[in-house]
Amino acid sequence: MFSKALFKQSAKANFTKWIFVTIPTCVMLAIVIIVLGNLGINDIRDSLKNVFVQADQESYLKENSVDSYELYLTTLTNYNEIAGFGSFLNMVTNNYDGKVADYEQDNGVAPNDEAKQEIIAQVAQEFGRYASFIGKTPEELKVLVTEILNFYIKDTSIKGQNLLDAYFLDQVYVGAYNNEIAKEDVTEQEALDKAEQAKVIAQDAINKYKEDSSASGYVYSRDNYLVIARNYVNTFMYDTVYDMQIDQGESQQSAKEYAVSVKVISNSAISTYQLWLNEYENEDPDNAITTEQIAQARTYACQSISDQIPEKVAIALEELGNMDIYGLIIGSIFYRIAGLLLPMVFVIMTANGLLAGQVDSGSMAYVLSTPTKRRTVTVTQMLYLLFALFSMFALLTCVSVIAVWIVGGNNFAINYVEILLFNLGAFLTMFAIAGYCFMCSAIFNRTKYSLSIGGGLTIFSLVCTILGLFGSQVVPSAMRISAMNFFNYISLITLFDTVSILEGSLNYLWQFGVLFAVGVITFIIGIFRFDKKDLPL
Amino acid sequence: MNETIKVENLTKDYKNNRGIFDINFSVKKGEVFGFVGTNGSGKTTTIRHIMGFCKPDKGNCYVKDLNSLESASEIKKYVEYIPGEIAFPDLPNGTEFLKNQAELLGLKDMTYANELIKKLQLDPTANLKRMSKGMKQKTAIVAGLMADKEILILDEPTTGLDPLMRNVFLEIIEKEKKKGKTILMSSQMFDELETTCDRVALIFDGRIIDIAVVDEIKNSNYINYKIEFNNQKDYKSFKKLKYKIVRDQEKYNQVTVKIEKSNIKKLFKTLTKYDVKFISEVKNSLEKYFKEKLKKGEKNNV
Repeated sequence: MFSKALFKQSAKANFTKWIFVTIPTCVMLAIVIIVLGNLGINDIRDSLKNVFVQADQESYLKENSVDSYELYLTTLTNYNEIAGFGSFLNMVTNNYDGKVADYEQDNGVAPNDEAKQEIIAQVAQEFGRYASFIGKTPEELKVLVTEILNFYIKDTSIKGQNLLDAYFLDQVYVGAYNNEIAKEDVTEQEALDKAEQAKVIAQDAINKYKEDSSASGYVYSRDNYLVIARNYVNTFMYDTVYDMQIDQGESQQSAKEYAVSVKVISNSAISTYQLWLNEYENEDPDNAITTEQIAQARTYACQSISDQIPEKVAIALEELGNMDIYGLIIGSIFYRIAGLLLPMVFVIMTANGLLAGQVDSGSMAYVLSTPTKRRTVTVTQMLYLLFALFSMFALLTCVSVIAVWIVGGNNFAINYVEILLFNLGAFLTMFAIAGYCFMCSAIFNRTKYSLSIGGGLTIFSLVCTILGLFGSQVVPSAMRISAMNFFNYISLITLFDTVSILEGSLNYLWQFGVLFAVGVITFIIGIFRFDKKDLPL
Repeated sequence: MNETIKVENLTKDYKNNRGIFDINFSVKKGEVFGFVGTNGSGKTTTIRHIMGFCKPDKGNCYVKDLNSLESASEIKKYVEYIPGEIAFPDLPNGTEFLKNQAELLGLKDMTYANELIKKLQLDPTANLKRMSKGMKQKTAIVAGLMADKEILILDEPTTGLDPLMRNVFLEIIEKEKKKGKTILMSSQMFDELETTCDRVALIFDGRIIDIAVVDEIKNSNYINYKIEFNNQKDYKSFKKLKYKIVRDQEKYNQVTVKIEKSNIKKLFKTLTKYDVKFISEVKNSLEKYFKEKLKKGEKNNV
């Protein structure tokens, strides 16, 4: 099955070709990895990425500022409405306590939950008549009294104004939690944190209200609220960021600078927000501002750089920022196109020369007029072709690994595992192509058919890969022509998926399997066909 | 076993009346068998089937009772081959090629190869691609004969050789024949087959027209004389005599007569009465024999 003499003959005949293909390919690869590695080609990408990261942070910061502002403002407004209810509430709770005491005296036991609810309903009914006194309808007041009493029965030690504050804060907490949990991608913990934060802000707002009002009565006008709310948020942001920076070990000076810059962003967001709200109010002074208008104002206020450029450009820039230029050049351009070209030329020429070329010229007669079986000839020639290909890629692998080591090993944009997989993939692709070319060489007696059918389809595959590149996901969407992706479906090289390797998905495994199978099957077909056919020798 | 090479009903139809049709012959052990025919008549195709390179449509070839196709590599233990097409593997020079060929043959002793190289005055160190046609043919001959096996199959082995080298080659074949080898040799030249072969087959349009025994033709009972007369009168009166005239050229007053060897005396006696310009013997050759055969065949076809 194997003839040493024939193997030697093939090795001698094709050695020059091998050298002239392998060395330039290795040099090309080394240049691609080392030179591009030192050029810092990923710098542009990193800075672009930073822009978007910062834009995201800015956007987040602005949203936070506007939300805090809105919350603070709402708290002030709402609290103002109920601030004087403390004594009224004392009456309500006293009434309730009295009714509970009566119940105990009558029945000898404390009222159960059901009985409590009955008592609450009675109290609410009784106090309904004070509705006009505090500027509410009887129904509204009944609901309010019921809710407050329900809150009160959880802890009867808090009374009067304190009860009112606690109830109010609880309302804020629950409201913030429900609001947050309704959003997408928000975990339970995040919602709880947000609610806690809202409670802190509301507490601050209440404290501020009490502090100011105790000195000079109820002084709040809407214009005052706006200024107070904005100052509060600005200061809150400043303090938080300043403390955070100091905690992270920054100097006081730089912490201050950073905190001020955050304050500026926060202030501008709030200003924008309020300006838009004023604008809406002026447009239609008779009606209250709608929820949609508030949401719109918030969107305008929270825009970052990425929101201000046209959407398509923003997507393209963001993709560019996320794109692995190194992976693209080394994987999709070198290993799938540039680096395959010379080995392909070698395989096309050598596969043809190993069988069809020798049959066509007639020199195969010298081999077959010795006691060498046809099967021995094909197997030996196949082994030579595989040996040449394997040694070529073994060398290429060494060069690539050394080159990656030179530019920084695993810290480099592409790690050792990826570069080894690239080499393996390229080898398997060439293995499949070699099998196919070998099969053509074994089937045809004429060089012209073997070359044009074997080599033609191989080069066709390569050209399709080049064209398909413009439609594949490795090209940013702004430059991508999706129709060109069609070419990827008709190229064998598509089975060598460098993107899958870089992304770490395991798609490449079955694709490697298919490439290997194509190679094995075509080699076998070639060997069997050559056994049977007529040789014009 | 007496028939070293046997071809039975061999047919390979390449369509358009090309190919070989119902070829039958056999070569005995120690015999030199010639194969003659024009270009494209089917010599090489027949040889390819004997070598087991092609699958026949019908019929079989046997070498030492082994089926050529089924035991293609087995028969190569006994067969040496000089292909008609001169093309060498992609190797730098003749020496490399011969060394490689020896390795494929499992041949260790190169004395016979060197002897052949010397006889043919071949310089094997020359670049294979730059060799002249004759040089290439010499290299092919050495590569084909160096293993010294018992059966030789030679496809037009003298093409490209100069007349001197051709004689050297024919001497080599003569020697091989004396060693008792069985030889099948094709050629377009009648004379070289005539000197080396025991039997010669004429193949035309893929069919064997005739197989001639060379000795019989050479030592035929008949002899041909070409006679030219000085005047027309003698020419005409001679024609009236009852000699068998095979060729008549009135313009030159020439006739060619075919007579039995025993009648030569009588002819010369008769001729003394005529004014003869010249008389010459026309030799019996394979070429003449086959040409007559072909003419007859054509007439039969018409």
